[in-house]
Amino acid sequence: MKTTRLLLILILCLAPLGLAQTPAAPAAAAPPAAASAALTDQDLKGLSGPDAKARANGDPDGSLTGTTNDITIADPVTDKNPKAKGLTIGDLANQIGQNKIAINFTWTLVCGFLVMFMQAGFAVVETGLCRVKNANHTMMMNFMVYGVGMLAYWLIGFAIQEGGVGAVANLGASPVLSHEYVVTIFGKPWGLWGQGGYFLTHAGSYDVFAMVLFLFQMVFMDTALTIVTGTVAERWKYAAFVVSSFVMGAFIYPLFANWAWGGGWLATLGSSYGLGHGYADFAGSGVVHSVGGITALAMGILIGPRLGKFTRDGKPLAMPGHDLLIVLTGCFILAFGWFGFNPGSTLGASGNGSLRIGSIAVNTMLAGMAGSFGALLYMWLRYGKPDASMTGNGLLAGLVAITAPSGFVNPVCSVIIGLIGGVLVCLSVEFVEKVMRVDDPVGAISVHGANGLWGVISVGLFADGKSNYGGSWNGVDGSVKGLFYGDPGQLVAQLIGCATLIGFVFTFGFVVNWVIDAFMGQRVSAATELAGLDMPEMGALCYPEFEVKTQSVGA
Amino acid sequence: MAIAGLIVTLLGFLISVFSVSVSSSTSGRLIIVLIGLAVSLGGIIGLLNPAYMKNANWRK
Repeated sequence: MKTTRLLLILILCLAPLGLAQTPAAPAAAAPPAAASAALTDQDLKGLSGPDAKARANGDPDGSLTGTTNDITIADPVTDKNPKAKGLTIGDLANQIGQNKIAINFTWTLVCGFLVMFMQAGFAVVETGLCRVKNANHTMMMNFMVYGVGMLAYWLIGFAIQEGGVGAVANLGASPVLSHEYVVTIFGKPWGLWGQGGYFLTHAGSYDVFAMVLFLFQMVFMDTALTIVTGTVAERWKYAAFVVSSFVMGAFIYPLFANWAWGGGWLATLGSSYGLGHGYADFAGSGVVHSVGGITALAMGILIGPRLGKFTRDGKPLAMPGHDLLIVLTGCFILAFGWFGFNPGSTLGASGNGSLRIGSIAVNTMLAGMAGSFGALLYMWLRYGKPDASMTGNGLLAGLVAITAPSGFVNPVCSVIIGLIGGVLVCLSVEFVEKVMRVDDPVGAISVHGANGLWGVISVGLFADGKSNYGGSWNGVDGSVKGLFYGDPGQLVAQLIGCATLIGFVFTFGFVVNWVIDAFMGQRVSAATELAGLDMPEMGALCYPEFEVKTQSVGA
Repeated sequence: MAIAGLIVTLLGFLISVFSVSVSSSTSGRLIIVLIGLAVSLGGIIGLLNPAYMKNANWRK
């Protein structure tokens, strides 16, 4: 009898999860519903977990831990209240709901912690690709972009990005962030920015859901900011870096992120104009990487190349970094962190199709592998040697490219996307350096800007319509499908996203930084640059026992 | 020249966005968006960057 009761409880526990994962198939939930009708509070009366004596002897195999005793009971039977209801079906249902959200909170937070650790990867990759005389300065930019960006995002950015996101089912469907500023254009609503959640206290945002969402989104934002520091390394005035990063974390990044992820107009291109499922960017090829890479391009043009990078006839000269060891170690750290970046973007591991996390993680690692192969083979065939730094950049390029489509494509397409990304980063580096003559010491414009755009476009090509995140995406029923799977409208939505990145984000980033340049100057003096930024800007060398050879220019 | 580059870059974005109201067909929208993208890229690569390259430090 006790076994039967436990079975009934188990069925009751699983029924809501089954409903949540397959909302379009109510018939599948019918048998558990019938079974639940047979279960009453009375059936639960006799249930009890291990007694205190048994627990006092320890629980080496874990069989006594996590039992009926651990279910929170609203009206427990005690000596003072022997007629209380005790364990009820309501208690069980509440516990199931709590467990689902606990799983999703834990998943999202742990993935956020992994993404946070990517800051260390970016820091060593960028520093390793710079010269010894600028190592402290480059490291300190990567170190403080975390704090500066977080402050800006906490004060302003989070509210602009997520203030109107509405209920997120995987994180408890709280309505506290439902304040989107919307205007009507062409007869349709266009969400422009969020208006709730300033300081994480405004408009009810002192809320467990908002805290989890803030942590996860904050580390994404910081990733975008740190991309810029790579392009303008070795010549960016530290004070200007602080101001520029603050503005980017408060306004530039959150605005585009709101349009794509916060319920803004890009996300609603599907429901408003029939363009597929609207702009779909699963984990941020566009939102994070392209925003960072395209702002980096704007900064690279504005600040100009390092002294000695180009000859008088515009031919680029190699300026090798000082430590390939930490460059490739940093690439591995980033690849590790990407397992938080992409699978974590389900914002849960239970319910609403979140079990696709395995597929997303595999897609991520496959594309990274393909990207490194693409760059390795390209450089080997073109220059006769397998270039280490470009192979590392190829790995990152594959990861950047798969970030947007990781939740929508199959493993074969992931490899194709990553392989193209690996070759694209090599071609883009050559174009940026030899044609545009923009100096990018770490290749951030190509890794994040070009491949971010490629990732966004690849959703519109390769999304296979097999994903199911609660039965809809961006308010449009069904799964995201690309051009090759029958939905050309999705490709148009993705291209509008690319046009927004290139046309709007670039212009916004350029103008903001042009103003900062006019007021305080963005670039260090030539003397500082030649001496290395460590002493003049930071007051300390990164490697004080090294003999640093400085370079003369114009000779 | 630099300001013209910025204006053209922004114009490309506006062309792409207006595609949703100018045309109701997917192929029509696709063509307009691609034109917008080309205009934006032209603004950056063809106007803004050359304007800054004129005074680049390696020319001095």
